[in-house]
Amino acid sequence: MKKKWVGGLLASVLAVGLIGCSAGTDSASSGSKGASDFPKKQIELIVPFSAGGGTDAVARAFADAAKKHLPKPIGVVNKTGGGGAIGLAEGANAKPDGYKASLVTVELAILPNLGLASFQSDDLKPVAQLNADPSAVTVAADSPWKTLDEFLKYAKENPEKVRIGNAGSGSIWHLSAAALGEETGVKFSHIPFEGAAPAVTSLLGGHLEAVTVSPAEVSSQVAAGKLRMLGVMSDERLEAFKDVPTLKENDIDLSIGTWRGIAVPKDTPQDVVDVLKEASRKTVEEQSFKDVLDKLNLGIEYKDDTGFADTITKDSKRFKELIDKLNLKQ
Amino acid sequence: MLDLFSQGIVNIFTQPTVLLLAVLGVVVGIVVGALPGLTATMGVALLLPITFGMEPVAGLLLLSGVYFGGIYGGSITAILLRTPGTPAAAATAIDGYALTKKGMAGKALTVATISSFTGGTISILILMFLAPILANFALKFSAPESFALALFGISIIASISGTSLIKGLIAGTAGLLVATVGLDPIQGFPRFTGGITDIMNGIPFIPVMIGLFAASEAFKSLEEMNITEKVKTKIQRFMISKADVKKIWPSILRSTGLGTFIGIIPGAGADIAAFVSYNEAKRFSKNKEEYGEGSLEAVAACESGANACTGGALVPLLTLGIPGDSVTAVMLGALMVQGLQPGPMLFKDNGDLVYTLFSGMIICYVAMLIIGLFAARYFAKVVEIPKAILTPVILMLCVVGSYAINNNLFDVLIMLVAGIIGYFMQKFDFPASPVVLAIILGPMVESQFRRALTLSNGNYDIFYTRPITLVLLLLSLLTLLTPIIKKIWQTNKDSKDESVRL
Repeated sequence: MKKKWVGGLLASVLAVGLIGCSAGTDSASSGSKGASDFPKKQIELIVPFSAGGGTDAVARAFADAAKKHLPKPIGVVNKTGGGGAIGLAEGANAKPDGYKASLVTVELAILPNLGLASFQSDDLKPVAQLNADPSAVTVAADSPWKTLDEFLKYAKENPEKVRIGNAGSGSIWHLSAAALGEETGVKFSHIPFEGAAPAVTSLLGGHLEAVTVSPAEVSSQVAAGKLRMLGVMSDERLEAFKDVPTLKENDIDLSIGTWRGIAVPKDTPQDVVDVLKEASRKTVEEQSFKDVLDKLNLGIEYKDDTGFADTITKDSKRFKELIDKLNLKQ
Repeated sequence: MLDLFSQGIVNIFTQPTVLLLAVLGVVVGIVVGALPGLTATMGVALLLPITFGMEPVAGLLLLSGVYFGGIYGGSITAILLRTPGTPAAAATAIDGYALTKKGMAGKALTVATISSFTGGTISILILMFLAPILANFALKFSAPESFALALFGISIIASISGTSLIKGLIAGTAGLLVATVGLDPIQGFPRFTGGITDIMNGIPFIPVMIGLFAASEAFKSLEEMNITEKVKTKIQRFMISKADVKKIWPSILRSTGLGTFIGIIPGAGADIAAFVSYNEAKRFSKNKEEYGEGSLEAVAACESGANACTGGALVPLLTLGIPGDSVTAVMLGALMVQGLQPGPMLFKDNGDLVYTLFSGMIICYVAMLIIGLFAARYFAKVVEIPKAILTPVILMLCVVGSYAINNNLFDVLIMLVAGIIGYFMQKFDFPASPVVLAIILGPMVESQFRRALTLSNGNYDIFYTRPITLVLLLLSLLTLLTPIIKKIWQTNKDSKDESVRL
């Protein structure tokens, strides 16, 4: 009995102490000019894919380069699973104080439309877009198709004979191949793999006719003369592949691909978002960040919060239409 | 080629920092590998960003050291505590732990170290001399071949079932059923997920493995904690005899070949290599009855097979730029960040560097051998720790390890449930390894089978018109039918004997 009483007293003392503490910090933050003292502690950056992959590399390069532009460091945490759904959901449900930011990927606009996510794509507030990579139509170097036109002509004459490998059902590379089919009126046979690398391997082995993965995934094979890139689905030609035409040059109005950026929970105060936005803008300019992305053949594409929000809304709408047409919604 | 290699050795020894980093990598790898849940893949991935600022050779050797050490390190806890540190070590745990219970932990550790070293080193030599020839083999593997290989892997359940084939098959089937949970691999439809996002990609097999092997064993020893043990587990000798060497070397060599071969195949890694090596060692062994009861041959087979996978997986990575397993997928990124494009041009443009790298890899394995043999007597002391202290520590490691894989608390829950199931499986004498094997291979069998049919437009010809597929399918049939044929043969012989006597 006595013990309980002491325990109760201790607890209440502790509680009062805690309230005192939080009140103290509250007054401190309201005393100074708003969010100028954000961040006061380390920021956690949730990466929805595993360590060692491309998304992880972007996150770590960003966190490293951001050191110069934020008073506190950024720590990268990989929360994997569900094809990105688990990490993105954790980021969306985090406390909206800016201390748990997310490295978001194109899956943010895809998974909710597939019916495979517990979040909506607007549950996260965009801060900055860091990167974008288009889909690239790539065939074997010993295939008869030298140009995109030849390839599409053959595919049109042989419906469902052209097998295109992608990184999984409902993945961005599946959607981009499907969009190409929609846009040109060609019927492809879509073959899903567990990620882009096995699809590229299968193309190399002659088991597929084409892949529509990112240029980064095929660049070493293209450089070695084993694969040929016929066209990229971006607005302009890529710096690293100057002689590969865009689809738009072939009169196909299609620009589709993956992107990565920073986002925070949707109720995060604007002043906190502004601090992160400003830091992101400067970080993308850092040579160390550019170097890592260049070496991995990942395209740098910076957009501020409103620009990134446009990308997400536009893509989400487009993917919804595609997914409905393809009947992929679960 | 030899002069390039010797030049490489000289290069390494004239750069003490590189040598030091390689050895450091091995040490980190052994620790990471020995801890449950922390796999070689994770170790390499976590060290990757550190290597960005290093010289190419230094950075890549650090990662190679972690890779090699990680695959080997898994065997230490598998042997001593029935806690496979890596998926590959689940095969080692079967006989390794049985040896520990017999008081032969020291010998088992020595055999594991020597086998890992031999398998790994030979596979690096194969990589060095035969890489360009073997590379094209990797490309022959498409969906039907991978399906046949996975099916062959599943047929191995027959040989790892322990005393009762039926119980092994029941466990394997249960594992296959568990493997159906998650997104349908081809159409992306969620199956049996109950709306839980955490199992959308399937029941993660590493927590299941930790639960079935380690946690269940810990639960069992909780039960025995109050019984004061009179007989203290003795470690006995570490040295292996000439007779032992004679017994294990054929299985080391065979497994090295198999492991290298499986490493080359994209999508098949050390775990599959270890199980296949176990199966084939048993098939050709003169002492089949020892398997499952504590066989040094089995430990040697699993470990040499798993480590031989390392050199094999590097073949397609370096020659074609395609990763053979999850670790080499991370290493692909490491190479590219260093400005080295893996692929056919790598050997031409950076021949010096590549051969320095090969020399360094062999040095990594030598370091692993020395560290392993030296440290074995200290590792083995774990067995002498009283259960009342050891068991809670193991349980804690199980929790931390299963959390660490995805930083997800749900995985801890899966581990605990698997631990409880594993406890009852032990009670009723059901083997755990068929479940693990089925969870690893089940999704592979399903997705590759369906992918093959998509590739062929639904035509089943694809499974018997391709030579590699056909051979692998026949092999699995043989593995499945051997016990039955033997039984029939045995009864025929017995009845004949009887008729003669009559």
